[in-house]
Amino acid sequence: MNERPLRIVIAKAGLDGHDRGAKVIARALRDAGMEVIYTGLFQTPEQIVQTVIQEDADGIGLSILSGAHMTLFPLVVEQLKAQDAGDIVFFGGGTIPPEDAQRLRDLGVRAIFTPGAPLGEIVDFVQTECGKRRALVG
Amino acid sequence: MKRGMDVDDFAPRLSFFFNSHIDFFEEIAKYRAARRIYARHMREKYGARDPRSWQLRFHTQTAGCSATAQQPENNIVRVAYEALAAVLGGTQSLHTNSMDEVLALPTEKSVEIALRTQQVLAYETNVTSVVDPLGGSYYVEALTAEMERQAESYFAQIAEYGGVIEAIEAGFFQREIAEASYRYQRSIERKDRVVVGVNAFTGEEEAAEIELLRITEETERAQAQAVQDVRRRRDSARAGASLERLQAACRDPNDNLMPHLIDCVNAYCTEGEIVEAMAAVYGRYTETAVV
Repeated sequence: MNERPLRIVIAKAGLDGHDRGAKVIARALRDAGMEVIYTGLFQTPEQIVQTVIQEDADGIGLSILSGAHMTLFPLVVEQLKAQDAGDIVFFGGGTIPPEDAQRLRDLGVRAIFTPGAPLGEIVDFVQTECGKRRALVG
Repeated sequence: MKRGMDVDDFAPRLSFFFNSHIDFFEEIAKYRAARRIYARHMREKYGARDPRSWQLRFHTQTAGCSATAQQPENNIVRVAYEALAAVLGGTQSLHTNSMDEVLALPTEKSVEIALRTQQVLAYETNVTSVVDPLGGSYYVEALTAEMERQAESYFAQIAEYGGVIEAIEAGFFQREIAEASYRYQRSIERKDRVVVGVNAFTGEEEAAEIELLRITEETERAQAQAVQDVRRRRDSARAGASLERLQAACRDPNDNLMPHLIDCVNAYCTEGEIVEAMAAVYGRYTETAVV
C-alpha cells in the first residue's frame, strides 16, 4: 500500500451556492489520506469532467442541493462516457429524495449520500470503490 | 462616502442579515455584541451623528445546518428556539426555515408551519413588546462582552489583510467557515455535541416519513414556457433599448445602475438578459476554491 494516494474531485454544479457539505466531505477525504481537488461553485458538467480528466482522478463526488439533480447528474454521466471515463467512480450527495437517488443509481451513479450520512460511511465507500478501480486499472 | 456623501444621508437605510444557530444565549449575545460594535464604529470611525445611523437593523434566518434529516419534525422545535433567540437579540425581521428543507424544497404545509411559528412568537408570547429584555442579566452581559472582544480580534485580522475584499481574495473567510463546518460535523460524530435524533435519542425507524415536495420536469418546462411567452408578448425594441442603456451605464463609473435596472424590469427584460448585459462589461466572479 505504498502507492500514490487516491485522487478525488469534489464538484459543485449549476446555480447552487450551498457548499458547506461539499467542503466538509472534501476535508474528511483529505484527512483519510486522499488528495482532494475541489472545483469551486457554479461549474458546468463539461468543466467538471474536464477537471476529472486533467487531474487523473479516481473518483468524483458531485454535490447538488438546488433541486436540479435530475438534470445535472445525468449530464455528468454522459460527459464521463463521452470522455471514455465511465469507469471513474462517480458518487454524489445533496437533498435528493429516495426515488430520485434510485433513478440516479440506475443511470450509473455509484452511490448517493443524503443529509445525515456519517462521514465514515462516505470515506469507506470512496476508499473501497476507488481502491477496487485502482486494482483493475492500475 | 468616497463619493462625497454624508454618512447620515444613507446609513439609516442600511440593514444586515444574520443567521440564528441553536446555542441560545450565544446567539442572543452575538446580536447584542453586533449592535454595540456597529453603534460604536458608526459614531467613532465614520462620524455619524444621526442616532438612526447608529442603529443596527437586521434580518435573521434560522440555521440550515442545525436542521437534521433524522426525525425532521424536531426541526420545527429547533427553528422556534432559534427564532426566539433572534427576537430577544433584537432582530427586525425573521426567516424561519421549514422542517423539511434538509430533505428537499419545502412543501406548502411545512412552509406554513414555519410561518405560524413566527406568528405565535409575534402575537402570542408578547416577547416583542420589550426592547433588549435580557440587558442586565449577568450571564448575557458577560457573554456579550466576550463576543464583542472576539469579534474585534477578527476585525483586527481582517484589517491586517487590508480589508474585507482582500481577505475574501485571500480565502480567509472561506477557510474560517470551512474549518468551523468541519469542526462542527466532527463534534457531532464524536458525540462531543448532542444532536437529538442524530447521535442521541434515535428511534428505530430512521427514514424520513414526511411527505416531500416533488419538482418534476414539467415544472421546469412550464417555467421555460412562461418566460418564452413573456418574451413574445413584450415590446422587443423597448426591451433591447433598455438593455443597451443598462450596458452603457455599466461602462460609466459615475452612473447609477439602479434606475436602469428598474427600466429593464419595466420593459420585461428577463433576469438572464439583465445579468448577461452586465456580465459582458464586468465579467463574472470566479471564486478562489478554498477547502
